[in-house]
Amino acid sequence: MIHDFTYLKPGTVKEAVAMLSDHVDECKIICGGQSLLIVMRQGLIATDYLIDIKGLKELDYIKYDDKEGLKIGATTTHKSIEKSALLKEKYPVLPIMEERLASLQTRNWGTIGGNLAHADAAGDPAPVLIALDAKIKVGSKAGERVFELGEFYTDLFETAMNHEEMVLEVQVPPMAPKTACAYKKFNLLQNDMGVVGVAVKITVDASGTCTDARVILGNAGVTPVRAKSAEQILVGKKLDEAVLVKAGEAAADDADPVSDIHASEEFRRHLIKVLTKRMARQAWEQAVKLG
Amino acid sequence: MTTTSLAKEKLHVINTHVHNIDGIAKVTGRATYSFDVKLPGMLYGKILRSPHPHAKIINIDASKALALHGVKAVVTGKDTLGVKQGIWRRYSELCDEQILPVEKVRYIGEPVAAVAAITEEIAEAALDLIEVEYEVLEGVYEPYEAMKKEAPEIHEGVERNINVTRHIEWGDVETGFEQADYIREDHFFCGGQAHMCMETRSAVASYTPEGKLTIYHSNQSAYYMQALMAGVLGMKEGNVRVIAQYVGGGFGGKFELDGAIFTSCILSMKLHRPVKVIYTREEDFIATKRRTPMHYWVRTGIKKDGTFCAREARVVSNGGAYTGMGATALYLTGFFHSFPYRWENYRYDGYRVYTNTLPSTSMRGFGAPQAMFCSEQQLEWIAADLGLDPIEMRRKNGHYAGYEVPGQAFIASCGLDEAFTVMKEWIAKKGKLPANRGIGFSAAGFMSGGIFNWFDTPYSFSSAVVTINQDATVELHIGATEIGQGSNTTMAIIAAETLGVKVEDIKVHSGDTDHCPADLGAWGSRQTLMTGNATKRACEDAKAQLLEFAYAKMGLNIVYDLDIKDRWVHIVARPERGMPFDELVTIALRGKDGQRIIGRGFYTPHRKGMISPAYSYMLQGVEVDIDPETGKIELLDSLTAHDCGQPINHLGLIGQLEGAFSMAAGYGYLEYMPYEDGKLMNPNLVDYKMIRATEMPETPIHDIDTYEPEGPYGAKEAGEGLTNPTAAAIGNAIFHALGVQMKECPIRPHMIVDALKEKAEKEKAGK
Amino acid sequence: MEKKIITLRVNKQDYELYINPKTLLVEAIRDYIGLTGTKRGCETVSCGACSVLVGDLAVKACSVLAMQCDGMEITTSEGLEDNGKLAPIQKAFLDEGAYQCGFCTSGMLMTTSGLLKENANPTKQEVKEAIEGNICRCTGYNSIVRAVERVAKGMYKEESL
Repeated sequence: MIHDFTYLKPGTVKEAVAMLSDHVDECKIICGGQSLLIVMRQGLIATDYLIDIKGLKELDYIKYDDKEGLKIGATTTHKSIEKSALLKEKYPVLPIMEERLASLQTRNWGTIGGNLAHADAAGDPAPVLIALDAKIKVGSKAGERVFELGEFYTDLFETAMNHEEMVLEVQVPPMAPKTACAYKKFNLLQNDMGVVGVAVKITVDASGTCTDARVILGNAGVTPVRAKSAEQILVGKKLDEAVLVKAGEAAADDADPVSDIHASEEFRRHLIKVLTKRMARQAWEQAVKLG
Repeated sequence: MTTTSLAKEKLHVINTHVHNIDGIAKVTGRATYSFDVKLPGMLYGKILRSPHPHAKIINIDASKALALHGVKAVVTGKDTLGVKQGIWRRYSELCDEQILPVEKVRYIGEPVAAVAAITEEIAEAALDLIEVEYEVLEGVYEPYEAMKKEAPEIHEGVERNINVTRHIEWGDVETGFEQADYIREDHFFCGGQAHMCMETRSAVASYTPEGKLTIYHSNQSAYYMQALMAGVLGMKEGNVRVIAQYVGGGFGGKFELDGAIFTSCILSMKLHRPVKVIYTREEDFIATKRRTPMHYWVRTGIKKDGTFCAREARVVSNGGAYTGMGATALYLTGFFHSFPYRWENYRYDGYRVYTNTLPSTSMRGFGAPQAMFCSEQQLEWIAADLGLDPIEMRRKNGHYAGYEVPGQAFIASCGLDEAFTVMKEWIAKKGKLPANRGIGFSAAGFMSGGIFNWFDTPYSFSSAVVTINQDATVELHIGATEIGQGSNTTMAIIAAETLGVKVEDIKVHSGDTDHCPADLGAWGSRQTLMTGNATKRACEDAKAQLLEFAYAKMGLNIVYDLDIKDRWVHIVARPERGMPFDELVTIALRGKDGQRIIGRGFYTPHRKGMISPAYSYMLQGVEVDIDPETGKIELLDSLTAHDCGQPINHLGLIGQLEGAFSMAAGYGYLEYMPYEDGKLMNPNLVDYKMIRATEMPETPIHDIDTYEPEGPYGAKEAGEGLTNPTAAAIGNAIFHALGVQMKECPIRPHMIVDALKEKAEKEKAGK
Repeated sequence: MEKKIITLRVNKQDYELYINPKTLLVEAIRDYIGLTGTKRGCETVSCGACSVLVGDLAVKACSVLAMQCDGMEITTSEGLEDNGKLAPIQKAFLDEGAYQCGFCTSGMLMTTSGLLKENANPTKQEVKEAIEGNICRCTGYNSIVRAVERVAKGMYKEESL
């Protein structure tokens, strides 16, 4: 059963961070609540104050310019990202990832900020956004801070935010020329959470040689895992089968997955190997085609 | 035997497009389930469950819970009569379960105490305040371990924890194997499966000072619940009223006593107030029952030309902590393992073993899905081993109308041969498939209700009462239970057809023991044939009474036949001569001085063999795509060739078959119940995976036209039997796609990857 | 904990509720307002039986606090009909037999209603993806997909005018 709490509904971000500061250590933020209410019901989270930011319109936006890149506000729903024509053009991997994120109802109500702040190792957006070199802006009464999203996650359900901070925005730099990103999770039901997920971003030069790579693994450790040794294998090469297989093996080594009823540690590593190979190929093929 | 076109033309209502008679209630949110029932002054109950798989209850101290504001009562096994009950009531040694145990617990999640409070939240908080002192005992979780001499004793005096054994044999198996050119044996394991009814177990009990107990309960047999509750409470059955008007699914899991009905009754009787107990989804997973996990060993002997010589099978099943309906599943798996083939020599030995896990029981297919997973895959491999056409090999040995399963069953109708032809055409049309894609099929058959009962009489029975109202509408009282399968509609169709009126003229009363005749309820696919026959006979009885008045009124010579169709009473040979049905009813009721016209009907299957009065037949084909690197299975297409005799309820039939496919496919590759030290590791819908809309392929159905003489209008089973073939069909599709043999279900991705690895290593070594 | 007064507009009717703020939307609908067509089948936002429309969007009512819907327009299965006249999607469910036990039906109706508001002519695959978050243990889903296709084809258009 859910622990009793006092419900607070700020009208602005300013009010929200003031409330956070007033009730630090005994409050939680709810946005879409698609994950939070489950763990609250299970008694895993008990809070005395709940600050509801779902209605903060000032954080509901998707903005882009060629210099600054993309900015998505924390209360933007998964549905808005999935349906965004702008994103389909500029970062097609994001709508594709969102389509399979969860059920329609959860995508309708759940938000990107809530998802990133929840820090579930099996979350889909984090690996993709990290592959896109995203940053995350958080705010408190004391001001704003910006983290590399790749450094934001510290442990299972833990982030680098302090208890007075809330997620405000995710920022993604413009895509470099001839760069593509691909993401796939392995699951048995189409929109289920991933047993593992792999996001790969590849940049190529005019000859088709990979000049930059990101390989980010989801649900392959307590936080998203950057498979640096796989990236090293990809950079400087044309991605033929042998390179891809080697990169997959390297990613599997970089991973630190758990064993559970859905897959053993060994099988998770196997899946990472396969998905890394496939996503690297897919991203490379797309990048090569780009002008 | 098939229907003649003449017979078909005579049907006016049967197999037409009829809306489910409960449909409007269900699509407008008006249908009220026991989950929704709210009575004045109602309290909420919650159950404290054992955290231990095996432990003695030393002491329960509820004083702190009782002191909590809003808590009205706490009950434990000591507040009950301590009756050991079970659904096999005629065999006392199989009545082994106290719903609130007095002395010891035998699985994690077993009820230990129950609280009633003014809110659900207070009841839940009170559970934490109940102090239970246990003496933890060693547990045992796997049947082979539990059978060992040194294994802990789960039930007093039950040697080696063997709960039930079953032996089925005909012919001379040894000689049969001697005649065989080829013998193959395999070991298999088939896992458990959760019924996963959308409505969790739920009950509202209200005991009043007159000594009457009224229970709204989500179940498959109101009559069983009435009798079982009367038994454990020491009451007369007539003082217990069970109402199950709308039931959110059953699938074989809701015809035994559960903790919700039991504790709500005990609490209500203590407090004289209504008490509602609703299981959470987690409780439903850990503390109801499940499909029986089975270890199968199969040995089959066959001639080079494909003639089946002999089969021998041995099953060791994980019975869990109590018997439940598991004893029946152990028997039926052995019988249906022979289906649908003519084995001249057949032997089956089954052992059901107690363990400290969730009890296993009946679930849609009742042991047959496990049987077919093993049988139909092994046959496919044998056909491949011998280079035989798997369809023709099966056809050659298949059942046919007129065949007798030696000493067991008589097959009066059988559409199997046509099903093989349909399947062969479907597979041929698919042509050559791309890599990693395969088509598999499996045959199966099933019963149309069990001959057996074991509950109170040796025979199964059904009855129906039909009353003709003043306004020519009809009240049909049946003991069948509508659980979503559409039985109310099916009975309304049979009644309308028989009486010659329209479906909307029939008001069906079911699922209420105060107003309905006793009937064993919805299990073993019995209602269409058994309650259907009872309904038909009741309507024939009423119709004959009505027609007496028509003969009198119309002054007919006896040589003229009268009939009623579409509310028109007429001379069969001269249909234009007649009168409206409502006029006849008015005349008849006046003529009887206001006495009502009541028809009675019953059905009980005397001298119909050992198992069932009639058998359905089916072939399930599936086309799958497998990702050989990840082991992921995708269902691309399917074909169902199905013989249920004369279909009664057209929409209901399609729905039942499509639904059976989804549940059975889930059993084949998704639905997995892993236990660790007696604890279910995925008791929630996040971790327990089932087919969702995105996983469902198209499900075209080919209905095979047969006529079952024992069934009402030629009808027999539909909807349960199709749960049987699908897991095997998926296994066979994988075999044809990748050349690997999957001997465990559900077939999970890593198993396919491992099997491919093993195959590659073998091929390498072979070179 | 301070109880709060909120107004939910459910099926075009305002309900003023005095609730503990932890009350879920599904609890407000079932236990406070008394509309029991909306069901609950899990505790993990997995089954979709509690799906309702918030505005035009299908949402699982167990995943949302009632507080979060203060002042919002909510539609449940009871709100689909108009004085006993069934909505096209309800008629289509009847015609296809797109329900059996009926326990998931309200959630299915609301999820598919939400889909049709957003996309009046969905493909088969789009229908399947829309109801992927709703479990039906009885039908195997295909009859539900066919029912939505019937509505999309405009088969009930004239009747609903």
